[in-house]
Formats: sequence, structure tokens, C-alpha cells
Amino acid sequence: MKLTAKLLGVTALSSLLTGAVHAEVTVLGWPGGPEETALRAAAEMYNARAEVADDDKVELLFTSRDGFFDKLQVDLAAGSTAFDANLLATYSIGKYAPFLEPIPLSDEAGAVFGDTVLKTMQFEGAQYGVPTDLSLHFLYYRTDLIDALMADDAAKAKYTEIAQEHLGEALAPKSPEDWSWLDFVANALYFSQSVNPDSPTRYGTVIQAKNLLFNMMVFHSWPRSYGADWMDADGNITVDSEAYRTALSMANKLFELGATPPDSTSYEYAEANAAYSSGQVAAMVQWNAAANDLTGAQPDTGTFAPPSGPEGRFTHIHGLGLGLNAAATNKDGAIAFLQWLSTEEAAIAYAKAGGAPGLASATAAKLADDRPDLVQSGDYASTYGFVMNGGTSANALSVYEAQAKEFTGFWAGTQDLDTALGNTTAAMTELLK
Amino acid sequence: MVKKYKLENAVLASPTSLFLLAILGFPVILSLTYGFSETSFETLRSPEFSGLQNFRDVTADKTFWQAAWFSLRFGTITAVLECALGLALAVYLAPLIQKHSWVVAILIIPMIVAPAMMGLMYRLILNEFAGPIPYYLYSWIGSSPAFLSPKNVFTTVILAETLQWTPFAFLLFLTAYQSIPQEIREAATVDGTRPWRLFWKIEFPLMLPTLFVAVFIRFIDGFRVFDNIYTLVGSGPGGSTTSMSIYIFETFLRRGEIGKSMAAAILLFVSAFVVLSVAQWLLRRASR
Repeated sequence: MKLTAKLLGVTALSSLLTGAVHAEVTVLGWPGGPEETALRAAAEMYNARAEVADDDKVELLFTSRDGFFDKLQVDLAAGSTAFDANLLATYSIGKYAPFLEPIPLSDEAGAVFGDTVLKTMQFEGAQYGVPTDLSLHFLYYRTDLIDALMADDAAKAKYTEIAQEHLGEALAPKSPEDWSWLDFVANALYFSQSVNPDSPTRYGTVIQAKNLLFNMMVFHSWPRSYGADWMDADGNITVDSEAYRTALSMANKLFELGATPPDSTSYEYAEANAAYSSGQVAAMVQWNAAANDLTGAQPDTGTFAPPSGPEGRFTHIHGLGLGLNAAATNKDGAIAFLQWLSTEEAAIAYAKAGGAPGLASATAAKLADDRPDLVQSGDYASTYGFVMNGGTSANALSVYEAQAKEFTGFWAGTQDLDTALGNTTAAMTELLK
Repeated sequence: MVKKYKLENAVLASPTSLFLLAILGFPVILSLTYGFSETSFETLRSPEFSGLQNFRDVTADKTFWQAAWFSLRFGTITAVLECALGLALAVYLAPLIQKHSWVVAILIIPMIVAPAMMGLMYRLILNEFAGPIPYYLYSWIGSSPAFLSPKNVFTTVILAETLQWTPFAFLLFLTAYQSIPQEIREAATVDGTRPWRLFWKIEFPLMLPTLFVAVFIRFIDGFRVFDNIYTLVGSGPGGSTTSMSIYIFETFLRRGEIGKSMAAAILLFVSAFVVLSVAQWLLRRASR
């Protein structure tokens, strides 16, 4: 009995001591990768500030990326107090909003990030998060292959012949910075051995077409450049449009003609990067986060915004950020940290540590030497960035899911375009009503 | 005296019973509650009774039937392949294993790997640009099948499952084969029975109950497959590799339709219960 009492006492004491050394603001971050490194650096800088009380110091919590948003959803719905602030993404704000509270940002936030980027963390006009990382898409292309093509008249003639045969237009090769989506497809066909046996690469492009919502984000800059949107101003679903039909059919041509690997319907980010890095792919559209990996593997790589369409050039953008858990046990402390995170000092520290905040040009200019890529991504985001109408709604993730299922089914040949668009319209009507 | 033992039994069994009730009973009650309610993540704590609406929604959902058909085909084909291969290996290798029992340890290695890890492993080794199998095929014959293309993906997941779980069937058959009294074989051999006839007329009939159990277990396991397929190819283009478990998972977490996913889970449970009951009845009938 005495031994039991002693053990209980020791356990209770150690629990108290452990609690005393634990920080009072717990932040659930995006695990692994540069986001974690950057958040660690920012939190360290914040905790070192003299005015931050011991009770308000920040401790970081990381789980695993696998099923992160599923676990977060369950935690938030259950009213978990395990964290005070948590990761947010543009496409999930509406879903998590019932379990979050809007936050005030610092006075300088508007100047640091700019309105476009701040909007990626808003839902129904309220600011639910401070933006930390911005994701958008780049066109990656092999400059050595393009240069060789442009310098060879016979190759140019072959290119035009292929474009005429498969696209019905006698297109001439162009600099990727001037590409329309039609040029992108023509280039992909020219550099595919299934169409052009003399191609130096096995495939002209790689489309990551696994039935996965993130892959739809990569794709939908394409229909957008033909004027697509999810809904019109009256809330009618407009996915069954000429714009979506054109983009889906053009992409399908790449599958049919073997210009993308035949099993790319099982590819996601990692597989698509592996394909490009192997040197067997000539060009691809991929997340900006892949820039270091892809240019590292293929040094002769150029980057630009995705190709243009009749309605202009667009890139999907979304932000990662941190928001306030409505069940937080230290709301004031969490708000203080989030407010500081929206200052220029924090944004620069975060960027220098490897993060990718979407910064307004004046702030990005201060990082021109350390992070020139942020100048480019900030510029593309503000010039070409878009969010579909309904892209931050409560069911935005489910809309992407529905599109992924139906569109990949079309590309895999398990259903026709009318069925795919009909099913997507029905699902979106239900989800966005 | 009997009464005393009854009381003792009840007392001794109560911790286990309470534990099982807490572990199994709570989720079952919750699933039943949600299955008959309009529930989302926002209304987890205040589900509204909706009668059979979720069941109507599930049975009207063509993805549900697509998943059921996938699971049925997958479960049947893998069960048959695993049992056929397991039986052949057990009978063929039995003499070798009698002398070198360590062979069993090597053969059951695939079973030790977690199915999710197995899926990830195949995702790597079958990848055209990073995987060793396509690499060597390209090196040797200049081309490689696209293992995970829409045309081949079903075959690939069947083979992956079969390769992992054939050792399970093999173990069952080996145990059954080794438990056949040696005297029976010796008597048959003395009477001039040829090995092939010995197998079909004596050994195989004696192993039939094991075969029945093995097919049943492997079918149930194949029918509820989740992790290796999900980590390998997800739910597939157009939902082509969506099993029942994947359907339930995605309906619950991805689409937030908690009531509907619970209704699907209840239907899965009921159908498994019916299959189990029929199988037990057949087994009893066969053993009479």
C-alpha cells in the first residue's frame, strides 16, 4: 500500500513538472519538408522575444502527412484541446470554419502579403488564418531540348507535321514562355517516342492523374484558361462547359497517344517528379514546391507560369497557413503568436528558413538575394493566380474529390466525357447547393 | 456446487466481457446510431434520426455497387489463387520441409510485412522510372508493361495480394497435410496406389475441411481489402479499384457523409454475417 502511494505520488509530481516545462501555446504544423523547418525557426525566434511570457511560449506539434487533414478534421470536430493553433489550407477553410475562430492580423499584414494572398485564408469575408506558404504551379521544361529543337530546321518541320496530323493545325515550335495549351500538347507529342520515334525522351509530358484531389488542382489551370469556372454568379454549376470539355479532351489526347506514361493514372506528385527527373520527360506542369528537386535533377530546366488559353494565363493558387482552434485553451497566447507571424519580421525569417510565403513585391524584394524564387512565385501568384468560384466553400475538398474520380475515369477510358461531366455536375450540385 | 461454479465463472469472465463490451460494443452502438441518423462532422454530437434514409442513399449510389462488385471479384479470385498455390506448395514441398523446417520461415516472410508497406513497396518497385522491375525489363527487352495502367491495374493488385497471402494458405495446408497419419499413406502404397491417385483419393479428401476454411478466410480477407490497394493505387481512376472498405473510408472521411458510410458498414457486416452463417452450415453438413 505504501509503495503504491509512493508510486502515485511520484507519478503525480512528474506530471506536474512535465506540465511546467511544456509551452502554453501548442501549434499543430505541416509535418516534414521546408514548412516544418521554417515554422521551427519562426517559433524559436518568437520564443526568444523578451515580451513573450513563459505562459505564451510556443511549442510545435507535428504528426504525419498521411491522412493529416482527415485526422485534423476528426480532432477539430471532437473539440480537441491538444493544440491551440493548427494548419489550414485554402481549400479546407470552409470545412473547418465551424471549429475555428477568425483572427486579427498585424497592421502590416496587408503590406507584407498583399490582398490576393490574404484572401487565400479567408472564408465568408472573415480572416481565419495567417498565410505561411503559397502553392501555385510552374511549367517546367527542358531548355536543352527546346534549344536543340529551335536550332534544327528538319526537327521544326517534323514538329509542324505532327501538330498538323494530330491537332489539325500546322504549329511551329515556340519558346515555352509563349506557349498556349495547344503548343504544350504539340510539344508533348513531338517529344513522345510513341508519336515521334526519334524523340530523345520517352514521353513529352507527364500528367499526374491518380484519383486524388490535389491532382485536380494541378489540372484546373488548363480549363480556367479556356474560361471555366465551378459556378456562375447565380450559383449554377458550370462544369459541363465548352472550356472543361476542351481541356479534358486535349489532356485525353495525351493519354491516347502515349505522350504521358500509360500508368500515370496512378501517379501523384512523387511519381511525376521521378518521371521528369529521370530525363525521360520533356515538360510538365507541377507545383512550385518541386522547383528545387526538378532543377536539381535536370539542371537544364526552365520555369514559367502554366501555358495560356483564349481567356488568358492562369495558375491555381492556394495557401497553407495557421488558424485558431475554437477549443484552444490559450486563445490569447495563440492569437499573439499568429499576429506576430503576420509581421514582416516573421515572414522574412520564415522565408529565410526555407518556407515559401506569398509575399507582396516590396517584401519579396528584401529577399531577392536569399530567395529569388519567391520573387517569381509572388509575381505569378499576383498576376495569374485564381481560385474557382466555390473553391473555399465548406465542400471544396469534396468537389475536388468528385472531379478527380470522374475526370480520371474519363482519361482511363472507363467512361465517356458526357458521363464524366454529367456525374461531376450532379455531385457538385449536391455539394455546392 | 454447480451454482457456486456458475457464480465463479461469471465473476472470472466479467473483466473480459466488460473489456469486449467497451471495445466492441461502443463502436457498434455508435455505428448503429450514426447509420440511422443524418450525421456530419458538424453534428457528431447531435445526430438526427433519419430512419432508413442512409440505407436508401447507399443502395442508390452506383459507386457502392461498383465497390461491392470489385470486392466480390477481388475476394473470390485471390482466395482461389492463394488456396490453389498454397495447396500445391504445401504438397510439393512437404518432403523437403520434413528435412529442412527452416524453409517454412523463408516462405512466410511476405506475411510478416504490413499490407500498407507492401503496397508502398510495389508502388516503388513497379514504377517505370524508379522501380527495378521496369528498369531491368527496359534493359533486357527494351520495354516494360505499365503495371499500374488502367488495363493492368486489377491484375497487378490481384498478384500483389496473392503473393503476400499465399503463405497463409500454405501454412494451413502444410499443417493439414502433415497431420494425415503416415500409416494411411503406407497402407495405400503397399496396396499399389500411385502417388497421384493417393493424393486425389486419400490426402485431398482428408484436407477438404482445411481447404474450406482457407478459402473462406482468404475470401473474407480479400473482400475487406484496404491498405495495400489504397497505398498502391488509391481508389483508382474512376473509382476502378475502390473496395468496400475504401468506399466506407472515403465516404466517411473524404466526403464527410458519416451516416451513409455507417450504413454501408452495417450492410457489409450483415452480408458478412450471412456468408459466415451459410459457410458454417455447409461446414457442419459436410462434416456429418
